[in-house]
Amino acid sequence: MEYIGKSVIRKEAFEKVTGKAKYTNDFQETGTLHAKMLISPYAHANIASIDFSEAWKIPGVKAILGDEPFPLVGEEIKDRSPIAYKRVRYHGEPVAVVVAEDPITAKKAVDAIKVSYESLPVVNSPREAFQENAVLVHENLDRYEKREGVYPVPKTNIANLDKIRKGNMEDGFRESDVVAEFQISFNPSDHAAMETRCSIAEIRADGEVIITTSSQAPFAIKKLMEWYFGIEPGKVIVKTPLVGGAYGGKAAVQLEVIAYLASKAVAGQPVKLFNSREEDMITSPVHIGLDASIKLGATKDGFLKAAEIQFLFDGGAYSDKGVDISRAGAVDCTGPYAIDHIWCDSYCMYTNHPYASAYRGYSHAEVLFAFERTMDVLAEKLNMDPLELRYKNAIRPGDTTPTQVLLSSSTVGNVPKCIERLKELMNWAEGQRMEIDDRKIRAKGISCIWKTSTFDTNATSGVILTFNPDGSINLMSGVVEIGTGTKTVLAQILAERMKMDISKIHVKMLVDTQTTPEHWKTVGSRGTLMGGRAVLNAADEAIRKLKEVASCVLRVPVEELEVADGKVYFLDNPNVFVEIKDIAYGYTFPNGNTIGGQIIASGNYTLTRMTHLDRETGKGKPGPEWAVGAQGIEVELDKRDYTYRIIKAYSVVDIGTVLNEKAARGQVMGAMSMGIAFGGRETFVFDPYGRVLNPQLRTYRPLHYGEQPEYIIEFIETPHIIAPYGARGGGEHGLLGMPAALGNCLSAALGVQLKHLPLIPELLWRAQEGWKDDIV
Amino acid sequence: MISFDFEYFKPKTIQETIHLFHSLVTKKKTPLYYSGGTEIITLGRLNLVYTDAVIDINALPEYHTIRFSEGYLVIGAGVSLTKVEEENPFPLLSKTVSEIADRTARNKISLGGNICGDIFYREAVLPLLISDSLLGIAEIDGLHYYPINKVFNREIQLQKGDFLFNILIDQTYLDLPFVSMKRRQQWNVGYPLVTICALKKDEEVRMAFSGVCPFPFRSVEMEDVFNDKSYSLEDRVRRSLQYLPKPVLNDVEGSSEYRIFVLQHTILDALQKLEGGPNV
Repeated sequence: MEYIGKSVIRKEAFEKVTGKAKYTNDFQETGTLHAKMLISPYAHANIASIDFSEAWKIPGVKAILGDEPFPLVGEEIKDRSPIAYKRVRYHGEPVAVVVAEDPITAKKAVDAIKVSYESLPVVNSPREAFQENAVLVHENLDRYEKREGVYPVPKTNIANLDKIRKGNMEDGFRESDVVAEFQISFNPSDHAAMETRCSIAEIRADGEVIITTSSQAPFAIKKLMEWYFGIEPGKVIVKTPLVGGAYGGKAAVQLEVIAYLASKAVAGQPVKLFNSREEDMITSPVHIGLDASIKLGATKDGFLKAAEIQFLFDGGAYSDKGVDISRAGAVDCTGPYAIDHIWCDSYCMYTNHPYASAYRGYSHAEVLFAFERTMDVLAEKLNMDPLELRYKNAIRPGDTTPTQVLLSSSTVGNVPKCIERLKELMNWAEGQRMEIDDRKIRAKGISCIWKTSTFDTNATSGVILTFNPDGSINLMSGVVEIGTGTKTVLAQILAERMKMDISKIHVKMLVDTQTTPEHWKTVGSRGTLMGGRAVLNAADEAIRKLKEVASCVLRVPVEELEVADGKVYFLDNPNVFVEIKDIAYGYTFPNGNTIGGQIIASGNYTLTRMTHLDRETGKGKPGPEWAVGAQGIEVELDKRDYTYRIIKAYSVVDIGTVLNEKAARGQVMGAMSMGIAFGGRETFVFDPYGRVLNPQLRTYRPLHYGEQPEYIIEFIETPHIIAPYGARGGGEHGLLGMPAALGNCLSAALGVQLKHLPLIPELLWRAQEGWKDDIV
Repeated sequence: MISFDFEYFKPKTIQETIHLFHSLVTKKKTPLYYSGGTEIITLGRLNLVYTDAVIDINALPEYHTIRFSEGYLVIGAGVSLTKVEEENPFPLLSKTVSEIADRTARNKISLGGNICGDIFYREAVLPLLISDSLLGIAEIDGLHYYPINKVFNREIQLQKGDFLFNILIDQTYLDLPFVSMKRRQQWNVGYPLVTICALKKDEEVRMAFSGVCPFPFRSVEMEDVFNDKSYSLEDRVRRSLQYLPKPVLNDVEGSSEYRIFVLQHTILDALQKLEGGPNV
């Protein structure tokens, strides 16, 4: 029974395909009250008055929250009132919350609340926010409580600045013959997960807080509830059932806090808060925007010498996860290239936009759009093939990253090999741009990718295994099943190690922080590494315990026993064995004597030798390994009207050993699809007052089935030695290079360097026909 | 989630329906006719549509049928866009409605609902505007038929309580050469930047537009220019633009100047196809 690399069907597949799988909002308990938010129609305004009197007249209303100084919250800087107080800073911000007997009553009461706003000037982009004398989103930045390692700059809109200082820029540019400078920008957008966010909170008579929520970070909620409200972590129990798509959007903690406050307002009764699609798009945190300037220096034969980079991330009205996202952007501020001299300032800026949560790739697709577009600008200046330029500079074992991590063949995948394979697959030799007829052009564009994770240095993952009387095993891990199939991969790892039938492994899908061991957060493509290592540790303990019992029963020393196929047997004579089912609950001798009891094993794993980043240079080890890849896009463009069709999209990714082939392919393909939509269509459109004009799926359109190109996906398997069976992270990587590859492809087709996303035909028309970039 | 309460009625005859509407108005109610329900549901949940009395007209005989009668194709206004697409009695209409919304929505959106809806694209009306169709309007004294250009000007012009019951299209229009083109902001999903329906009758081109302005329209002045063969195709297209109604849309889908750019090419393509021969 070998499970590594096999396309094992995911454990929750039958529940999902029959429509029976339950997500947070599917849990209905009698006695649950329902909350509904009133959200701000303004991006920046003072709340002059708020009148709940009409709302209170509606029968069934139990509580109305708002106009109250609640404790401030935020992941690193406490700058956000969970429900706005006196002031709103983004369109969609919660202004009041009604708790009622049913959702309809709550909505009616919300409609009856009267608010009068005094509008304020808005900060409508991170570039605007960065100007001297910019309107301030937060006047009292210095008064906010914050964590260590975050440095907001009072009297500015800077929530945080992370610096990378590697080598010496003067040397770098002195060694350079050619310099390319480029600037890009794009607006925030959305994750558009199928399941909109939902949280249910209840406060029990003994003070225990029970939260059921669609979250990627149930364990983080416990810790935040302590930081926000002083509640002991043991008194907070968070339950997370299946999550219907998260993409980083559910790594932020927002509705949980509001639901808790709502429950508190009704003496602890359970309160459910379920986002409408519109709220999920703008009230809850969004996909971050970016304005970036890049300056690259290279020798005339194309060796990169210097990279000077400024990122202005559009963190939105509240810093929350934006601080850490812009930090991750600094960590991998270049593409996967060996560059000796790097200078990067990565700012998390406050604006009057919806605030940011993680988004699949955690700033990497954003940063790579900036960097990889500039690589093509440089290639043009050098008059060099862009693929060749990348190949020459590809980072290799022995090189160092921007945070000065020395790489080995285990800690970085094989970039040159990915480029080589991409070159063959795309038939790069035939040329990057081909005129098909007087209107149609075929063009190709590429991007290299890389990513590591930037977790807390003590991030941990635990697993508990319990045996059933039939010898089967229950697997409990704190990894949330967000649709990636990670829990099935954990079962594969367990089956492989235990040499047993995977159908005898029962995976607990629901996470309950009281009974499930912690997995730090289900983010950053680390479920397999961390959860998998914890599984292996637990499996080793289970095997040891099984052997101990079997040793007594069989009168064979532990060292001469083997566990496989549901048995423990004597290595020298497999006919001497005991079945696991006969020892899983202890062994009962014929006379009734019993030794041992139910076998319970546990294991955990903490990332090894992670360090904080140095404040001045960024030096430090943020993540365990870099998965890498090379991606490409091929389009057919109509020169006359600037419409185009993506014909093919390519990914050659080195995700180490592939543990579940179809699952991995599905992850890469799904991520590519998101990346194409991010590059080609998805964006929030803001009016001059900072309001989102398209917070609806009518006008905000992810990629629909039938619009997708042909996907060509190949894996390179350079093992990460310390990972379970050599796997690397791979949940995000398919997305990372898509916007840049699309931008490079269309720029090559048109002969114009495109700077903005999404790359809709109107934007191409404006770029080509010389319109100012005032609208798009 | 719709937060307003409403009464629900499902009358069986046209007469009953209209009397019900007027009696509800007399009782200070705000009745709305319910056909496919897509706008009442999707706009109602945003408080953009309000009603306290829903009159479901789906039980009316013939409201869901497609048939041929006395030289006319007769389509009940309650026929879903999916059914129009699948039965394909009028290829121009079928092609045009097949590009509206998505399949799941088209299963519910009725032909009449798309024509009479608040969402201003109303693309299903374009083929009807250029085929001299008749609209059967249910009125207090029964069903009356009017030429479409008499009762549809940017939006349907109905007396309060009247409703669109069916649509008659002269069978001679059904197999004329036509084009139906939809241009969007990007790829295959979304509202139109420009939708054009055109057909050629007696060597004359007729054309109707959606997406260009906040209403669908047919312009006789523009058609006159299109059919003036003393000018080149490109000149005709350029000259026709002076007769464009105002305002040209400028919104999240596209700026007005870009729309005009797209419009010119789309008209050009349409004319080229129609003048190139009958087979489109």
